[in-house]
Amino acid sequence: MAEDLVRALRERDHEAELVTVPFKWYPGTRVLDQAFLWRLVDLTESDGRPIDRVIATKFPAYCVRHPNKVAWVLHQFRQAYDYDRTELGQFSESPEDRATRRAIERLDRVALGEARRVFATSRNVADRLQRFNGIDAELLPHPPQTLDYRTAEPEGYVLSVNRLDRAKRIDLLIEAAKAEPSLRVVIAGEGPDRARLEALAVGLNSRVEFTGRVDDAQLVDLYARSLAVYYAPIDEDFGMVPYEAFLSAKPVITAYDAGGPLEIVRDRETGLVVAPDAAALAEACAYLGEHVDEVKAWGLAGRSIAECVTWDTCVDALLS
Amino acid sequence: MRDLGHVRRRVAVVKVAYYSPLPPSRSGIADYSALLLPALRERIDVVIAEQGKRAPDADIALYHVGNDPDAHGWIVDALQKRRGVVVLHEYVLHHLIAGITIGRRNGRAYLEAMERELGVAGRLLGLGVLDNLLPLLWETQPERFPLSGVVLDAADGLVVHSSYVAQRARDAGYQGRLWRIPHPAWPIAPVEPAGNVVGDPLIGCFGFLNMNKRIPQLLEAFAAFRRGRPGARLLLAGGSGERFDVERRLERLGLTDGVIRMDYVPEERMWSLMAACDVLVNLRYPTMGETSGSVIRALSLGRPLIVSDVGWFSELPGDAVLKIPVDEYEVATLEAALALAVEHGPQLGAAARAYVEREHSLPKVADAYVAALEVAAGGDVVDDAVLLRIAEAAHEVGIDDVGALARAAIESGIVG
Repeated sequence: MAEDLVRALRERDHEAELVTVPFKWYPGTRVLDQAFLWRLVDLTESDGRPIDRVIATKFPAYCVRHPNKVAWVLHQFRQAYDYDRTELGQFSESPEDRATRRAIERLDRVALGEARRVFATSRNVADRLQRFNGIDAELLPHPPQTLDYRTAEPEGYVLSVNRLDRAKRIDLLIEAAKAEPSLRVVIAGEGPDRARLEALAVGLNSRVEFTGRVDDAQLVDLYARSLAVYYAPIDEDFGMVPYEAFLSAKPVITAYDAGGPLEIVRDRETGLVVAPDAAALAEACAYLGEHVDEVKAWGLAGRSIAECVTWDTCVDALLS
Repeated sequence: MRDLGHVRRRVAVVKVAYYSPLPPSRSGIADYSALLLPALRERIDVVIAEQGKRAPDADIALYHVGNDPDAHGWIVDALQKRRGVVVLHEYVLHHLIAGITIGRRNGRAYLEAMERELGVAGRLLGLGVLDNLLPLLWETQPERFPLSGVVLDAADGLVVHSSYVAQRARDAGYQGRLWRIPHPAWPIAPVEPAGNVVGDPLIGCFGFLNMNKRIPQLLEAFAAFRRGRPGARLLLAGGSGERFDVERRLERLGLTDGVIRMDYVPEERMWSLMAACDVLVNLRYPTMGETSGSVIRALSLGRPLIVSDVGWFSELPGDAVLKIPVDEYEVATLEAALALAVEHGPQLGAAARAYVEREHSLPKVADAYVAALEVAAGGDVVDDAVLLRIAEAAHEVGIDDVGALARAAIESGIVG
């Protein structure tokens, strides 16, 4: 997203550079060192010329100081917030870990509080900023990666495009394939959960295919030929996948606790919103397989929504 | 917490030793703790410290400090043995400090407290008190000599309810961590207004009655107000000091049939009486920097409320309460405010209730306490670890003066 933003700015005749620092958030209090690193970066000038605006997109990059800082929050450090005290969290109950978590809260309040404007890429992110930090953010979704999206006749498989980790709940889709013999699944992406997921798919013959990492052309092709796209992480912040699916005129199957995707995936309008369990998911996939006309109509409805989210809108808001 | 998968089993939680008077002790702070404790225990491990027993083991201690030496003397003793977070319920602690020094035949400690506050002049004033050459300062002008420094010196963190007390603590040189946490509001249960108290309108004033509550000014203003509204009644509910003869004042102002007088009323009855009132009055001067439980109750009930424009009371929102400056026009302003409050009761009441729900909700207050206690318990270790790595990195590249770096870390909130 950051690279696309830089490209979009340059296309509109602005000078823009991407500033990145690798982020290591463990162990213990190291996450605060990383935040401090950003605090020390001086972005007020470059080669003697003033830098007019800094756009920061995520923790800890938005800790950077600049008189014209705009935060476009893709996500905070969720281990300190909604992931805390879940299996996705990082902080234990020790006084040191609790205090580290509080330091991140405090840091966010300062870093985002000093921004001239705070945007959130989704309602989910905005709600979290309000709930945990008392910060009001304006909603500004960003377009998905720029690809030559196209559509084609559905070939009957449900596609998952995602990093393979537990929070993405790809195991639910495999369990659904076990429950629904007509369901074919293609899983694109890599990640630490791949071995577990492959083990889970043993015995499903060729109905579950792992493609691994795919290039842009393959991705566009997978979207184009799919029946529908599955995307149901736990309480996701934003998620580009639904936008990419919609630009390929494909409906999206998600879960009612998926967070960000629910802002554009509307049940029986642009996809299906189901309970986060394999049985409900199997039923939804089967329904789509038997109602291809609705699949096409919902995919087109999604496309008209996704086409409204443009870089022109984003750049105008961020520079205004 | 939202359901985000399996909750990790808690192996340990931050454990807090909690020092406070508790019911059946009749004090506002006991009521406060009775309200706060259950909500706190839902969020954090709390062990109650008891007077005369061994201090409980805990990661951090929380001391509720008010001005009554009988209720809080043992708590200050414990604080002086083990530092911790202090909840400063009022800023002026002269009565408390006198009680735990002079009251225990330790005049020297009283002199030290006075000297800490006012230097040599303080010590001399203290000597005057000890030698009976001066009136007892905690009775005559405690607000001039708060003596809160004794407590501030032992505090690793400070919880206050108002910006007023926060500022006074900072002005007194307190540099540690400080959190402003609003007084929690009592959950609003349906309250049946008491039927046996009537007035057209009925004005209510609750709490201990003394000069500080501006009762003489209230009586005078009410007498004037009642000349235009003969059906008006004033309900005075609460005990009174020995040297404050309410009845004689009522006779002098010709108010004997215009005032309903009650002594201490139990909690449930008080809610019911408050609900029966058209307007509530809670004046104060001088202020000891205290927050008023009665005021929070009145706001929760959505009753129009009149307060003095001092201390914490000044921080209440202007659309929810009428604030009376303490000046030569106080009585006249109060009389006009009574009429205004009666006329605009519903609007004031609605704004009051909205304010309490927004700022004083019990879950919000409990969350703020947990945040403060977690930082107090582990914050120093975190700060030291981060600052050490910053200093090491700076030193490795030849920067020995890391003051600017440390300031940047503090200013950004990276260290507390």
